[in-house]
Amino acid sequence: MMDKVRISAMQMAILLYATIMATAVLIAPSVIGKFAKQDMWISPVWGAITGFLTVFIAYRLNKAYPEQTIIQYSEKIVGRIPGKLIGFLFLVYYLHLNAISLREYGEFVKGNFLIETPMVILLGTMAFVCVFAVRGGIEAMARSAQIFVPLVIVLFLFIAIMLIPDLKPKNMLPVMENGPGPSIMGGFISSSWFMQFFLIAFLLPSLGKGEKGLKWGSLSVIAVMVTLAISNLFSLLLLGDITSTFVYPVMSAVRFISIAEFLQHLESIVMAIWVAGTFVKIAVFHYVLVIGTAQWLNLSDYKQLVYPLGFLLVIVAIWSAPNLQKVAHVLATTWPFYDILVHVLIPVLLLFVAMIRKKATKGSN
Amino acid sequence: MKWLTVLGIVVIAILITLYEWPKMTKDQKKEKKAFTVFTIGSVVLAVLLVYFPEMPGPTQLVDSIFKPLGKLLEK
Repeated sequence: MMDKVRISAMQMAILLYATIMATAVLIAPSVIGKFAKQDMWISPVWGAITGFLTVFIAYRLNKAYPEQTIIQYSEKIVGRIPGKLIGFLFLVYYLHLNAISLREYGEFVKGNFLIETPMVILLGTMAFVCVFAVRGGIEAMARSAQIFVPLVIVLFLFIAIMLIPDLKPKNMLPVMENGPGPSIMGGFISSSWFMQFFLIAFLLPSLGKGEKGLKWGSLSVIAVMVTLAISNLFSLLLLGDITSTFVYPVMSAVRFISIAEFLQHLESIVMAIWVAGTFVKIAVFHYVLVIGTAQWLNLSDYKQLVYPLGFLLVIVAIWSAPNLQKVAHVLATTWPFYDILVHVLIPVLLLFVAMIRKKATKGSN
Repeated sequence: MKWLTVLGIVVIAILITLYEWPKMTKDQKKEKKAFTVFTIGSVVLAVLLVYFPEMPGPTQLVDSIFKPLGKLLEK
């Protein structure tokens, strides 16, 4: 174990919550709405099932191979070469996913606020801050998340309360018009966020002794589920059927807020939520990528890789997408299958093989 | 103007190296190798992107691999 620093299970849950909620809360209503229509607020509940499943798989693998991440134990489970290949797939996946998140952040800020600023500057500054956090280690990230996340939750609730006078509950009806099908379909799309809970496999080894990883991991899944359900429900009640035509429904919803023509232009609050959340998200993914790479190459330390990989991250962010529409299309069609392969199929396979090797049985007692 | 961007990329890479290189001890040969490979690789990729911005990226690769499955969700 390279990082001697320990974090608490609650800090882990906060990191995970911010990481997954950050991009989901703004984009999910639009993407899920395409499939689930007026049942979109039910979809996160279906999606959460995959969240619990991935947390449980990661937890069991961690029990069988404590103090190790998937990059290390995949080699022990399926042998050196296949293990390295799996590790490589994970690293490429995390680099790519993080680059897309960074790009989403850049597109959002450029599209809504800093229209004239070149994309490279937006991506570069964000990556720079995140890289600083990662270099400070997991504890520094956990503590900064501990400061940001309560603030983000308060702002989120504030916006939700401000929206209440504008809500039209009729938009919700008819509930399950075409049976549970559409909502499950939306749940399938939302599960690609919930599957990111597999990140826990990289954080569990940093937990202190006796910390309740499974319990806090599950609580984090529930928190994300509730947040997503609220943001879906509020977008739906405010915007109705057209929710999915907006790129950022929550953003458009917030523009509606006008209390006595005094409290207006609360978009800046959404911006604050988005920036703080994205900071934690990119830092966590970058941390995972960096420690994963160091473990994959059997390096003694990970810190010297933080900057070069941060540089690479910005470049891949520019490379990965010609524009946001293209990314949104890929995220809604082919990307969920990539997620399932990396976050569910491979871990399940590893756990299965590990169980056959009768190592996981020790952990179950 | 493109050479200016390339210059900027190289300057960033040099700054990163100047900052990190002295922090590695003599016996960290592997670490130095990894650092060099990633930094040079990033610079090469960045310069390629400056001259060929339309180069197909990783997202297109994922898209084409999972296309048959993605059709299920196409609308």
